Amino acid sequence: MPDTLVLVSQGLFHALSPINLLAMLLATVVGIVIGCLPGLSAAMGVALLLPVTFGMDPATGLIVLGAVYCGAIFGGSISAILIHTPGTPASAATAIDGYQLTLQGRAAKAISVACIASFCGGLLSCLSLYCFSPLLAQLAMKFKSPEYFWLSLFGLTIIAGVSSKSMLKGLMSGVLGLLLSTIGMDPMEGVPRFTFDFSILDSGINTTCALIGLFSMSQVLILAEKQIVKRSRPVDFKDKIGVNKSEVKRLTPHVLRSWIIGNIVGILPGAGASIACFMGYNEARRFSRHKEEFGKGSIEGVAGSEAANNAVTGGSLIPTLTLGIPGESVTAVLMGGLIIHGLQPGPELFTTYAGMTYTFFGGFVLTQFCMLAVGLAGCRAFAQIGRLSDAILIPSIFLLCVVGSYAIHNNFEEVVIMFCFGLLGWLAHKFGLNTAAIVLGLILGPIGEKGLRRSLILNDGDPSILFSTPLCWLLIGLCVFGLISPFLMRRMEKRMEKQMETPLAS
Amino acid sequence: MKKILLLLALFLLLPASSQAWSPSKDVTVIVAYKAGSGTDTGARLLAQYARKYVGQTLVINNLPGGDGKIGWTELSRSKPDGYTIGFINLPSFTTLSAQPNSTFSVQSIVPIANHLTETCVVVVKANSPWKSLNDLVNACRESDKYRCSTNGKQASNHTAAQLLANSAKFSYKAIPYGGTADQLLALRQGEVQFSCAKVADVAPLVSGETPELRILGVFDTKRLAQFPDVPTLGELGYYKEWYGSARAIVAPQGTPKEIIDFYEEAFKKTMNDPECVAAHEKAKMNLDFKNSKELGELIFSQLVFSRDIVSSLFKQK
Repeated sequence: MPDTLVLVSQGLFHALSPINLLAMLLATVVGIVIGCLPGLSAAMGVALLLPVTFGMDPATGLIVLGAVYCGAIFGGSISAILIHTPGTPASAATAIDGYQLTLQGRAAKAISVACIASFCGGLLSCLSLYCFSPLLAQLAMKFKSPEYFWLSLFGLTIIAGVSSKSMLKGLMSGVLGLLLSTIGMDPMEGVPRFTFDFSILDSGINTTCALIGLFSMSQVLILAEKQIVKRSRPVDFKDKIGVNKSEVKRLTPHVLRSWIIGNIVGILPGAGASIACFMGYNEARRFSRHKEEFGKGSIEGVAGSEAANNAVTGGSLIPTLTLGIPGESVTAVLMGGLIIHGLQPGPELFTTYAGMTYTFFGGFVLTQFCMLAVGLAGCRAFAQIGRLSDAILIPSIFLLCVVGSYAIHNNFEEVVIMFCFGLLGWLAHKFGLNTAAIVLGLILGPIGEKGLRRSLILNDGDPSILFSTPLCWLLIGLCVFGLISPFLMRRMEKRMEKQMETPLAS
Repeated sequence: MKKILLLLALFLLLPASSQAWSPSKDVTVIVAYKAGSGTDTGARLLAQYARKYVGQTLVINNLPGGDGKIGWTELSRSKPDGYTIGFINLPSFTTLSAQPNSTFSVQSIVPIANHLTETCVVVVKANSPWKSLNDLVNACRESDKYRCSTNGKQASNHTAAQLLANSAKFSYKAIPYGGTADQLLALRQGEVQFSCAKVADVAPLVSGETPELRILGVFDTKRLAQFPDVPTLGELGYYKEWYGSARAIVAPQGTPKEIIDFYEEAFKKTMNDPECVAAHEKAKMNLDFKNSKELGELIFSQLVFSRDIVSSLFKQK
């Protein structure tokens, strides 16, 4: 153990060298910018910078990649908050409440909350990286096909949480998302489904593309529908940047909860930040004392989502480094980086190459501070975007949507798909359907389908395999809890309201 | 005397070399898989070192989708002016090109050079009761309940398992996992009993103090230098040919010969560059230069394989 402590402190010390600090700062800024821009995901950011790191010292190179990763995950929240356009799928849940805050002229507040929550989530995930790596890696190995099926079902129970207006319409939206997720290559048989001979649909609907359409393009249509007038300048920022004492008290439990959620989701291969942000958001809502604020601009919602997605960063590094199993596409690219630098993921990283690994960890910790500094310094400037007139904002978002969806694969057909989803999002708005629930169905559908069908093939069609392990039962328990709790909570709320008579809202 | 000869030779060469083609602006390299994928990382590594010999920057353009279809269609339709080249994966490229309604064929590209070669191997968990390939085959002949993870239905590693099963006359259950990483994870988790995968993907898991997996056989005509104790399938009386994957550099059809010659030479030099070799070794990538002619033969043999052998492999199912 003392040996490990020495390695940890040495690593931190190495990471503090001027060149590393400079690289870290630059990479964080690049990451935030990439994350901000819709269509440029964290994975793409890391992939773009990968060749740049070839010529660097391995430790510096890895720190750069880690910094881009963290920066991009946080950066996604900026555009989600300001223009309802999640820069990366990881910030989809942030857009729900973040954008409402912007409409109220509290953009700077929302971004600073997102920044602080990201920082906390990221920093806490470093803690698990240092302390619980081997333990958590074991958990990742326990997740087999049946467990993934139940995990995706649990994810779908979030629909109950995000559809505050009408449960029925929420469910309809979720099912629509699930149906759309069946488009593409059948995961078991390898034959195209519902693609109508469009080869672009072979690999399924691109989530980022659908997200840009559903969240931003639809917003453009909704805004454009109203007569474009110079928006009465929203209230000058009354809010102070940062959080005061009472807010710290309010947000802390959500950040801690989201850390655990993000971490666990992060270590599971194939799940990733886009699911974690919804889970973090939903749990924040479930346990909040100010439920009425959710959907109308709640800083707790922003914090719950952002802390969770940044907690994924450290979490997903765990199976990547210890087992060589990347949790999501970003870490898959990062693993490519490791291998190119001659580091083979596995136990050797903590023995033979411990020096470099701990320098990387040290850099990862320091990156969180860089992110906090850059985010807080910039949030007032970012927030100015929220004050632009619609006449400028609408065409700009439109342009970003087109460029963003084109940038994913340099493919114009995906722009068309984005437009289709924009239209769908606009219609959903008209009919009171829930776009977040559609996205959930779209993300979770393939995971659940693969989990279920693979389990059944493995067990010759006998569904008993779905109930075969304790972990399955734990997840089933969570599903039941997820389904029942909204109703229980509502009943409790009503009882509370009767008792208190005076509403809490200020 | 030598100096004079050298000068003479130089003078003779000068007009020739000024006539030979060389690029005057950045060269686009199409990679049909997404940034950060195995193919992409390999391509970027090579592009990095090729810059010195090509004289221009090689810009990677990732056009993923449809298992490579989108990028390869684009590549085969690109202008054959030497400013667009690309990577193809064998046998995926020939398999797709042999499909009806394919948007490209082996005629729509011109081979330049082979870059990497990966041989397929049969693997089981380190604690598996099967110590040799014959153990596996005997067990599978007795019962068809044993499961093998693949990277997708009829994908490369499924083909390998099928080659083994057909040549050893046993049946098994193939479970598709959509990718090599997930496929090997399933094996490590014990969801399946065996698997076939490329040696580079397996190598880190079979070495070290506590290896997780064990290689039972190699799909090659001779044993691998890396694993001299592992027998080939042919030695044991099963599938006798090489099976694996290759990544090669090609140009769109109609690219003039002098351009092909230029790139062939440039990549040959790149792949012999000590720094480049060291970088590939560090990344555990198996550099395997083949010139344009040899690559053409490989593509042809893979086409025959995809068209005649693969189609009959999955027939009885």
